[in-house]
Amino acid sequence: MKLAKAVIGLVFGAGLVLPALAANLPDKMEKPGGFPERPLTMIVPYGPGGGSGQVARAMIDGVKEAAGIDITPDYKPGGGGLVGLKTYMAAPADGYTVLQHIDDATSGFAAKRTDVHPAKDLIPLVMAQITFSQIYIRSNETRFTDWKSFVEFAKKAGGKATIANVAGEGSMERINMNLIDQHFKMKVQQVSFDQPSPRYAALKGGQVDALFEQPGDVKGFLDSGDFKPILTLLHERPAAFANVPSMKDVGLTFNPLMRYRGFYVNKNTPPERVKYLQWAFQKGYHTQNFLKFNKSKFMDLIPSFRDTEGSAKLINETMDVYIKTYKAMGLVK
Amino acid sequence: MEQFIAGTLTLVSSPLSMLVFACGLIGGLLFGAIPGINMLTLGAIVLPFSGMLSAADAIMFYSVLYCSGTYGGAVTAILFNIPGSPENAPTAFDGYPMTQQGLAGKAIGAAVLCSSLGGTCSALLMMGATPLIADWAVRNFSSPEIFALVFFGIAVASSVGARTLWKGWLSVGFGLMIATIGLDPVAGIQRYDFGFTYLLAGIHFIPMILGFFAVSEIFVQAERRVRGRFDMPKFSTHFPSLAEFWRLKVAVVRSVLVGFFAGVLPGIGVTLAAFMSYNEAVRWSKTPEKFGKGHLEGVVASETANNAATGAAMIPLLALGLPGGAVTAMMVGVFQIHDIEPGPLVFVNSSDLVWVVFAAMFFANICILGLGYVETRTVLHLLRIPFQFLAPAILLLATIGAYAVRNLVMDVVVMFAAGIIAYLMRRSGYSVAGIVLGLILGSIGEENFAQGMQMVGYDWGEFFTRPIVAVLVFGGVATILTNIYRELSGKRKGVEV
Repeated sequence: MKLAKAVIGLVFGAGLVLPALAANLPDKMEKPGGFPERPLTMIVPYGPGGGSGQVARAMIDGVKEAAGIDITPDYKPGGGGLVGLKTYMAAPADGYTVLQHIDDATSGFAAKRTDVHPAKDLIPLVMAQITFSQIYIRSNETRFTDWKSFVEFAKKAGGKATIANVAGEGSMERINMNLIDQHFKMKVQQVSFDQPSPRYAALKGGQVDALFEQPGDVKGFLDSGDFKPILTLLHERPAAFANVPSMKDVGLTFNPLMRYRGFYVNKNTPPERVKYLQWAFQKGYHTQNFLKFNKSKFMDLIPSFRDTEGSAKLINETMDVYIKTYKAMGLVK
Repeated sequence: MEQFIAGTLTLVSSPLSMLVFACGLIGGLLFGAIPGINMLTLGAIVLPFSGMLSAADAIMFYSVLYCSGTYGGAVTAILFNIPGSPENAPTAFDGYPMTQQGLAGKAIGAAVLCSSLGGTCSALLMMGATPLIADWAVRNFSSPEIFALVFFGIAVASSVGARTLWKGWLSVGFGLMIATIGLDPVAGIQRYDFGFTYLLAGIHFIPMILGFFAVSEIFVQAERRVRGRFDMPKFSTHFPSLAEFWRLKVAVVRSVLVGFFAGVLPGIGVTLAAFMSYNEAVRWSKTPEKFGKGHLEGVVASETANNAATGAAMIPLLALGLPGGAVTAMMVGVFQIHDIEPGPLVFVNSSDLVWVVFAAMFFANICILGLGYVETRTVLHLLRIPFQFLAPAILLLATIGAYAVRNLVMDVVVMFAAGIIAYLMRRSGYSVAGIVLGLILGSIGEENFAQGMQMVGYDWGEFFTRPIVAVLVFGGVATILTNIYRELSGKRKGVEV
C-alpha cells in the first residue's frame, strides 16, 4: 500500500512541479547533424479515432507547431497494443520512428506478455495525458441514484448487477473494479466491451447497470445529461466534479491505477537525437492548441505533463503495483 | 421538409461545399474499388486537413465518402472477384459468376441501381426518425440479441456454395476457427498464437478475403488455361431490364429493411448488413440452390443492404454519439476537431449541420446512379484485357491491397496461403463463401456471445428469457434441422462457387 501511495504522490506532486520546469525549455534548438532531414513516423498501437489516435494527432500538430517537424501516423492496432510495440522495436533506432503508447505497455510487461519495458527499453519523450476513472449510471435511473444506493442494489442483486468496461483480464479498469468489489463485499459482473460504442450503448439502453470509464471519453453523454458519475476514483474530489463523491467519501483506501498516454523513442537512438526529440515533444505539449485539446478531455484535472525522468518514475512505480497486484490475483507467478 | 430544403440550399449555395461533395463522391468511388486502400485510407489522409474546412463541409465529406465508398467496392468484386471491402464480399458470391457467364453488365447495373436505391431509402428513413430509431435500437438490441442474429444468419447461409451440406458446415467451421486466432475479444486471453506476435493480433480479414476470392480465382483460371478449358468472359454491357427489377421488388424491400436494421445497431455497421441480407435472400428464395452460381438476387440483396446501412449507421452516431464502424468513428474525430460532441445535443446546437449532412447523403445516393452508370460503361472494357495480362495485374492489386492494410509483409504471405488453401478447397467442393461467412460473422458473434453471457451472469436460462434471442435461436435451430432433413432426403441441390 505504501508503494501505491507513492504512485499517487508522484501523479499529483510531481505534476505540480514539472510544468514549471517545462516552461524553461528553450524556444529553439539546433538540429543535431541536420536531424531530421525527412518526416518522422509515429507508430500508434491503436486505431484512429480512439483516445490514442486523438492524442497522437494532437501531438503531431503540436510538434509541427513547436519544432516544424512533420510526423506521419502509422496505426498498428492489435494484441492489446503489443503489435504496435513489437513493430516499433523492429524499426531502426535512428530517431525517425517514434512510438505512442499507453499504460497497457506497462501492464503488458508486468503480465509478461512482452519483454519490452517502457521505461528501460524505451525512452519516454513526454507523458501527455494522465487521467482518472469514474463510475457512471443513467441520469434517469430509478433503481439507484447514487453510489450508496448502487452498492445496496448490487448486494441485493447477488452478483447479477453489471458494469461495462474495457476488455482484458488484468487491465487497469478490471483491477480497480475488483478492489472496489472486495472493499464493499459485493460482486458486480464486469462486462467487457472492446469497442467504445457498444459499451456506451449498453448503459444508454439499460442493458447494463453502470459504466466504468474516464470522463474525457464520455464528455458528450455528460453534457447531454444522459449519464451521471456516482463515484470518482480519486481520493479527493476534483473541482470539475465537486458534487461527485470521491473514494475518501465512500471509505475506499486503495490507490487507483491511472490511465496514461505518452510518446517514446528506442533507447538505442543516438543521444543527441533523443535530446532533440525530448525538446520537440515537450514543447509540442506546451503549445496552446495541445493544451486546449487536453483541457477539452478533462486532462487538466490531474497535471498530465511529465518529462522523461518523471515519466520513467511514473512507469516504474506503476509497474511495481501491477506486478504485485497480478501476483496477488494469481495472474503471474 | 423546410429543414431539408435549407440543408440543400446551404449545400448548393457554396462552391466550396459543392467541391467537397464532389471530392467525397468521386474519391469514394475510386478508393472504394481498391482493396486495402479503400475509403478508410482516403478518410485517414483527409482527417488532419478536415480542420481547415467548416464543420458542416468536413462531416459532409465523410458522409458522402461513406455512401459512394460502400458502393465502389462492388465493381471489382463483380468483375475480378476482388471485393473492395468486406461489405462487398457477398456481392462477389454471385456477381463474379455472372461476369463469367457474360452478365457483368447486368450485375454491375443491378449493383449501381440497388446501391442508389438502398442508400436513398435509408437516407429518407434517417431524416424521418433518427432520434426515435436510435433510442429503440439501444433499448432492444444488445450483445445477446446480436449474437442470436449472427447465429441465425450462419444457420441459414451455412450451406451456400458447397457441394454438400456437411461440406458447407465444415467450410463455415473453418472460417469460425480462423476467427478465434489471436486475443479473445473479452478477456484478452491469447489463443493459437504459437508465440508469434503476428498471430496475437488475429488474422486480418482483408488479406484472407483477397486470398480466398482473388488469388484462388487466378489459380482456378490458370489451371483451366493449362488444361485448355479457359474461356474469356463474354463482354456485355446489357443492364438489367425493368421487368427483371420488378420481379426482384420484394428482395429489394427486404434488403432495405435488413440493411437499415443491421446498420442502426451500434458497433455493427455495413458488413453484417450485407451478409445478413444475403442470408435472408437465400432463406426466402424458392430456388436457394441458385445462389452462389450467378444469381442476380444475390447481388441485389448484398448491394441494397450495404448502402441501406450507411444512412442507418448515421443514426446512432448523430443521435447518441455512437459510431457503428470505422468511417463513422472517423466522423467522431472530425466532430471533435470542430469542438462538437456528436449526440443528442447535436440536433439542438448544430441542427443546420445535421441537415446539410442529411441532404448531402440523399443527393450522394442519387448521384451514385449517374456516376455508376458512366463508370460501368467504362470499367467493363477491362474485361477485354487478355488473361495473361489481367491475372498479374489482379495479383499485383491484391498484393498491394493486402500489404496496405497494416503495412505488414506477413499479410501478403497470409493472402497467398489463403489463396492456395481456397483453391484446394474449391476443387474438393467446399465453400469459399462459407469460410468468409464464418470468418467475419464468427468474430462478431463470439464477442457478443461472451458479452451477452457476462450480462446474464452466465445463466443460460436468463439468456433465453430475452424474447428476441429466443425467437432467433429457435429459428436458427429449426433451419439447421430442416437443412439436415433436406440433405438426407435428397431434396437439397448442391452447388459450387
